[in-house]
Amino acid sequence: MQNKLLFHQSSVSLEIIGLPDYSNNENDDQISIISQWKLTIIDKPLIEGKVEHLVPIMNAFYIYSNLLIKNEIPLYESKLIDIKADNLHIHNIVLKSSKPNVKPLILKIGNSSLSDTINCFDQLNESPIVRIKKTGVFNIVPKKVRIGFNNKVKLFNLIMPPFIAICSLILFSSTFIYFYNPVEDKEKNELINPE
Amino acid sequence: MILETIDLNGIQSFYALSNRLNLNDVLPNKVTIWKLRNNNPLRKSFVKNNIKLNEFDALIKITVEMSRYLYPYIREILKSKEDLKENSVTWIDFNKRFIELIKERFNLDSMRVKKLLNQAENDEIIIKSLLTLSLCISNKGYQKLKNFLIDF
Repeated sequence: MQNKLLFHQSSVSLEIIGLPDYSNNENDDQISIISQWKLTIIDKPLIEGKVEHLVPIMNAFYIYSNLLIKNEIPLYESKLIDIKADNLHIHNIVLKSSKPNVKPLILKIGNSSLSDTINCFDQLNESPIVRIKKTGVFNIVPKKVRIGFNNKVKLFNLIMPPFIAICSLILFSSTFIYFYNPVEDKEKNELINPE
Repeated sequence: MILETIDLNGIQSFYALSNRLNLNDVLPNKVTIWKLRNNNPLRKSFVKNNIKLNEFDALIKITVEMSRYLYPYIREILKSKEDLKENSVTWIDFNKRFIELIKERFNLDSMRVKKLLNQAENDEIIIKSLLTLSLCISNKGYQKLKNFLIDF
């Protein structure tokens, strides 16, 4: 008997069907071996596929929404799925079948359905019951953050010691440059050797 | 401002949520929240205070919690804009109140504020802000919103 788990957000629901990995001593309600998944968006055709298609589709939605919010060109293209913006409110999704002679499935969804879909994927990602290769597109900390917050102190500690060392070296050696007078030295030599 | 446009009692909700999230150490009263809001250079009452990292984090946590709580409304506003012929009332009401709040609280001499008041130009700003809030309602919404804001 297979386990079924439903993630629901307003107009979208995502159903995950699969079995626990008994060889890993998992509980009966766990799903680690996904056999099927179904994504239902109200008023749109059912989307279902193999387990290997689920993570790339989730990543496509995450990357696309990231581009959309960051004011970059909202366009995602891959062998499996294309997503592009028709306008500010409507998104065009093309799902390509891996089977030959099967026409691609074209869907147009609005911002509300897009956010519902991504929230369903978030629920799946955060679920302790389903074990799936977690998508971490949103968890990538921007470079600015990494320098700005986390490593501010570390960066300071890294740069300051060599900087102080170089400054001290310059100051120390500069005193020798000022104390040494080559003209005076020459005069001294002339006094010792009057010839 | 978007959240306050949806929730008419925004500042009270902000304060109630800060209590519920045990953020009293960082945001002990409404005045602290008000002072933090005044860091926005677009506001009439702009005062430059350096926001501390824990205050920044607290504001993000409250925003995420409030977005989660207001998600049905955020979604409805987004949906109403998708098909204006069928359901334009929600969008028109929201936009009207947003502009009223901007006029009441923001510095109208600023070019950026003028852009916000221009109905032809503010659609994109409002939609992207609503979409950002709607994508940050999960348990990891805090990290998502923080990344969005810092990468902005």
